[in-house]
Amino acid sequence: MRGIVKSLATTMSTFIRGPVTRGYPSKHRELPERDRAFPLLLWDKDIDEPFCTGCHACERACPVECMTVIMKDNPNHESQDGTSKRRKIVDEFWIDYGRCMRCNICVEVCNFEAIAMNNTWSGHETSVYDRADLVMDLPQLMAQSKSDEIQEWVAD
Amino acid sequence: MNNGIYGIEIAWLDAVIRLHIIVGLMTVVVMGLIYVERKVLARFQQRLGPTRTGPAGLLQSVADGLKLVGKEDLRPRNADPWTFELAPYMVFIPVFLGFVIVPFAFGMQVRILELGLIYFVATSSLGIIGWVMAGWGSDNRYAMIGGMRAAAQGISYELPLVLSLISVAMVSQSFNLNDIVLSQSTYPNLLWQPLVLVIFIIAGLAELNRTPFDIPVGESEVVGGPFVEYSGIRWSFFFLAEYAALFIMGLIFAAVFMGGWAWPLGEELGRGWQILLVTVKTSLFIFLIFWIRASVPRLRIDQLMAFSWKILLPLTFVQVLINGAVLVYDAPLWILTITGLVGIVVLVRLIERAVRPSPAVNSEFVSVGNEGAS
Repeated sequence: MRGIVKSLATTMSTFIRGPVTRGYPSKHRELPERDRAFPLLLWDKDIDEPFCTGCHACERACPVECMTVIMKDNPNHESQDGTSKRRKIVDEFWIDYGRCMRCNICVEVCNFEAIAMNNTWSGHETSVYDRADLVMDLPQLMAQSKSDEIQEWVAD
Repeated sequence: MNNGIYGIEIAWLDAVIRLHIIVGLMTVVVMGLIYVERKVLARFQQRLGPTRTGPAGLLQSVADGLKLVGKEDLRPRNADPWTFELAPYMVFIPVFLGFVIVPFAFGMQVRILELGLIYFVATSSLGIIGWVMAGWGSDNRYAMIGGMRAAAQGISYELPLVLSLISVAMVSQSFNLNDIVLSQSTYPNLLWQPLVLVIFIIAGLAELNRTPFDIPVGESEVVGGPFVEYSGIRWSFFFLAEYAALFIMGLIFAAVFMGGWAWPLGEELGRGWQILLVTVKTSLFIFLIFWIRASVPRLRIDQLMAFSWKILLPLTFVQVLINGAVLVYDAPLWILTITGLVGIVVLVRLIERAVRPSPAVNSEFVSVGNEGAS
């Protein structure tokens, strides 16, 4: 009998506390700022070009070899009457999100703080119908940083 | 009765129209109840419940209904065709008949019957035949066991239910539901009959085959009982009957114990207020049943039978005898309140004695209970 009363009290307390379930696909929980989704490239807003110089450091460090980087001479360099101090700059950059294991090593090795882990929901909801669509090219990797979608912590 | 339209007497026409209103009301209420039960139960378990169909999942019952109508109406090869196909109606019709006597507000019922309470009990107990038919006709062992359990449980708990209603009728001095409601315009019957109220709720739970008395349809034991072989529209008939029965039991509870539309503000109240009062009281009963469903585990069949015959039935008999004595000698009614409260204490003590586990498992039970409370 005491057990019955106790169970009734328990269920009533859960009733009052309200649901803990979130209506996930329609409602997104706020992510922590150090949340680690897939790596992204950052955009230097002052000079209007990527931070990345295409130095291959991340490509060499990547344990699953999901990156491909191509470097070129920066057409915007000071020697060419440009505004940038970067002699070299990234030409093409691919990251295969299907292979990436989100280990954060590329962020650690980057000398220019040009790559960061995406800490928004767009980094988690990446489902596609074709595996090839998971290979991101330079404009796709830049888009988040250009439009200020990623949160503060990444850009530091 | 010479006045009629197209040779049909007005009284019949009137009854048919009222019954059609009831059919519409019942369908809407049942769909609402299914939605509300899912939402309330979800909240008890800290979930959200249906959210995807319509705003806040409001159209969930409509979607379920459409799905059920669209399903194939299957019948197992070995099933008894007549018994199998008629069983849903045998379950549903008695429940529906119960609506004839329910007073929704002053002057709002299909018919006022002098023996309304007896009529309600008589019709509601007919449903057991449908359950046994469903179990027998399916030619399935689980369904058979479920049907037999339904029969055993239905017949056992019919007695405490009837006697509790009779005991209330003694205090109200009438079997007419309208008179019972009117007699409670100052004090509701639950003041005089607290023990009977508790017994009515317990027996009502068993009559409705709801937790903790849902052994005929227990999914983990008899995989849904008599419904195993049913699908589509026939299965939805059972469902409709179940929730309609819940609704009607709530209405009877409101009318018999809570004073229906009359208490606490008297019978001069406007019709809208009366309907609101009845709705609130009915919802109270239904919410209580959902609450119990979310909290209490299922009983074993032998515990179930023993509980009915050894505890509930003797207590209701005692209550009926005390009622008789008090009413015959014109003693004040508060004596009934005291005996009723004493009766509740006795009931609790008896349940405690009945469910006391053996010392070996006792400690285990206690620890589980503590976890649940923290």
